[in-house]
Amino acid sequence: SVTEIRSGFTAIKANIQARDPIRTLSILSHPHSLHKVQSSDRCCITHHLFNFYVDKVFKHCKTEDSYVNRKISSIANSFLSVKKKLRQCHEQNKCMCGQESTEKFKQILANYKELNVTSAAMKSLGELDILLDWMEKSA
Amino acid sequence: SGELYCSLPNPRNVHFESINMKNVLHWSAPEGTGDGVLYKVKYSVYGVGKWIRKPECRNINRTWCDLSSETSDYEEQYYASVKAFLDGMCSEWMETTRFNPLTDTKIDPPMVSVSSTEKSISITLTAPEKWKRSPEGESISLLQVYPGLQYNVSVLNKKTKKRWLFSISNNTLVVPWLEPGTAYCVSAQIHVPTPLLHSVFSKEYCIATLKDK
Repeated sequence: SVTEIRSGFTAIKANIQARDPIRTLSILSHPHSLHKVQSSDRCCITHHLFNFYVDKVFKHCKTEDSYVNRKISSIANSFLSVKKKLRQCHEQNKCMCGQESTEKFKQILANYKELNVTSAAMKSLGELDILLDWMEKSA
Repeated sequence: SGELYCSLPNPRNVHFESINMKNVLHWSAPEGTGDGVLYKVKYSVYGVGKWIRKPECRNINRTWCDLSSETSDYEEQYYASVKAFLDGMCSEWMETTRFNPLTDTKIDPPMVSVSSTEKSISITLTAPEKWKRSPEGESISLLQVYPGLQYNVSVLNKKTKKRWLFSISNNTLVVPWLEPGTAYCVSAQIHVPTPLLHSVFSKEYCIATLKDK
């Protein structure tokens, strides 16, 4: 669940963010904050982002620290279970993608491609609290 | 201005101390330096390219700088940095870790008010307000910032030392079936389930139930 993701991330946040030296680029929150996304598009963006993290991020986040690696894989497993639930919404047409969410997700992928895969994945992982803060605020 | 030769030891332990989103940057003086060290401070919004100087914290000799105003948007995250100067020498810029006001602030306990009848006490709780620029500024309760905010309430019978613990989401609680003419002490704590935050318990507020007529 999202609470498990939050507690797992809190345990490794300082470690992961310390591996990201780039202050001038954010994958999720610039140039447009997630908080500006309209409520009608929230389900779709969340669905896209969970797919993004499962398909593109976690697999590139190996560290030399076994404790951190265990936490990352437990977060990834929690993402997988939430992703399944979101897929059901998508299949039942309760998760429509408007113009804005499509644009926003394109921007996120563009930000991601500005860095090499490992840096982009580690930065995305370090921004999990941005995703969680947004999800919990709009819950 | 051209940077001076930077061989001064660095400021240490540069970090934010935040209570109710009053966000103050703190640091320790460079090792081995006595009086006379001056500092300057800059900050940046994570994901945005530029560092911004804080004029009110330029050439200061104290080891803190209030950046509440600059970090008041809790939908953003921030870095801050400090540089030291002494006798024509300077240190490197020393940065904080990434600061997220929403998850990295501490929360004060709630305000507690109590009233009583013969057999019950009524408790009203008020969450603290988010820091604001001026007393005339708009008041934002932390309840608005953390919609899932809850209260843990402790009620102690001073005579029997029996204690009850309640966890409530709304801000009022009536405790019934109490003994008339008895002192009860109430203390409360704020609990935010996610992001996981909690305040310390408030001090105790004691009141006696009315005597039997």
